[in-house]
Amino acid sequence: MGESSSASYIRMVQHLIEQCLVFHMSKDECMEALAKHADIKPVITSTVWKELEKENKEFFQAYTMDQAEKAMEMEAAQRIQKMLAEWAAKDSEKED
Amino acid sequence: MLAVESLRGSNGDDRDGTLGNFPVSDDFGDEAFLEDVDFGDLFMGIDDGDVLPDLELDPAEIFAAFSVGEEGSGKATAVEGAEGALGGDGATRDVVVLEKEMGEEEKGVKSHREEVVGATTSEDSMVMPSELRSESPDGDKGRKPSSPSATRGSQGKRKSKVDWTPELHRRFVQAVEQLGIDKAVPSRILELMGIDCLTRHNIASHLQKYRSHRKHLLAREAEAASWTRRRQMYPKKDVNPWLAPTIGFPPPPPPPAVRPFRPLHVWGHPTAEAHMWLRRPVPPSPSLPWAPQPPLPPPPDPSYWSHLYQRGGREGWVPHAMTQGTPCFPHPLPAARFPAPPPVPGIVPQPMYRPIPPPVTDHSSSQLQLDAHPSTESIDAAIGDVLAKPWLPLPLGLKSPSVDGVLVELQKRGVPKVPPACG
Repeated sequence: MGESSSASYIRMVQHLIEQCLVFHMSKDECMEALAKHADIKPVITSTVWKELEKENKEFFQAYTMDQAEKAMEMEAAQRIQKMLAEWAAKDSEKED
Repeated sequence: MLAVESLRGSNGDDRDGTLGNFPVSDDFGDEAFLEDVDFGDLFMGIDDGDVLPDLELDPAEIFAAFSVGEEGSGKATAVEGAEGALGGDGATRDVVVLEKEMGEEEKGVKSHREEVVGATTSEDSMVMPSELRSESPDGDKGRKPSSPSATRGSQGKRKSKVDWTPELHRRFVQAVEQLGIDKAVPSRILELMGIDCLTRHNIASHLQKYRSHRKHLLAREAEAASWTRRRQMYPKKDVNPWLAPTIGFPPPPPPPAVRPFRPLHVWGHPTAEAHMWLRRPVPPSPSLPWAPQPPLPPPPDPSYWSHLYQRGGREGWVPHAMTQGTPCFPHPLPAARFPAPPPVPGIVPQPMYRPIPPPVTDHSSSQLQLDAHPSTESIDAAIGDVLAKPWLPLPLGLKSPSVDGVLVELQKRGVPKVPPACG
């Protein structure tokens, strides 16, 4: 029964990946997490991820776009924070 | 409408002259294609099969329209699109067909179109089409049945009966969520969806149904949430799954934080649509792991539970309530598994076996962080859960790749055996 254990293993990996997707993780993050917490080789994670992607193209496209959006938002937020920090620093300088 | 027609009529030529409407400048770069080819082909393909079964695609008319000023390539694809799409079986397929054809010729257009179709938030690509779209549906839909120059509309029929396929519905939900459920106005939804075959009326009625359904769902989820929370507050007592349902449901004053922890904007599109849309293909195959379900007693109201707990039942609304068929899954996990509710509050909407969910209180700040990045503990917990309970249904229910395919790929990469002997 080599096949069924492979199949169930793969299913498990798929399950884990889906879990990561729920957390909106990226592929790399997912690989890392699975390796760390579930002892799954990154290459396996990556392969299953790719296959999932092939089977569910639209989902992953939307997912990727969403990720990109989030990344932009975070970037923007960081920039704003930075600006605020700088501004605050300047302010304190002036007070001197 | 006029805009559309004149667009059709004077494609390559004199757009700014005839199209008073378009704020877009007259550069005929990609944008020109976007408008010209895009809608026509998009329209034709979608128009054809399922989305609007009643609308007849009249190739002759379209060709006539196209030939007026259309670029040759556009026309060719239009033709192919019409013929290829006729008798098509699914809106998705049609779109795919279109995309393929267009892709052959105008890759740039294709990517535009996907953006457009996918209703992204890219403002640029939406500005133009939005104008077009908001005009066209009105004119075309059926309100002007007899106008021969209504090129876009080769639909002679008046009926605007829409077949809400899962794909279509998914797009609809995506658009609605993007706008915000309260702000989702049919015309804007139309724009976002970018499907010319829909009238505002179609959208409006669909929206109404959707809204009422959601209210219903949210109310139920609130109950469930409050019930779950209560369970956690009284650990020992309510662990008994038998009791749970009876305790929770009859009374429940919904907790103050009835956050729509499901749909709105928390999750953005993929989850929303993923669940909605992916749910359908989740087939009987998972029934195998579910069958055993030893520890689980059948809940009192199976359809209710499955409806409620499978992804918040948003899918249940999809015209085929397939949740009926799906078995309920283990509900009473949380107490056992998570000693302390992971700080993953509202972030964890879907995976049903995490009904731990919306523990409001002090998690609001951590919630913000989590939005950015899930904490290690929660990931660890989630992963551990999966490992421990393989019978659990897949949270997203993505279509599984073929095992052989995966194995082959793995072998190519030097992983001969799975599971690997040395982890």
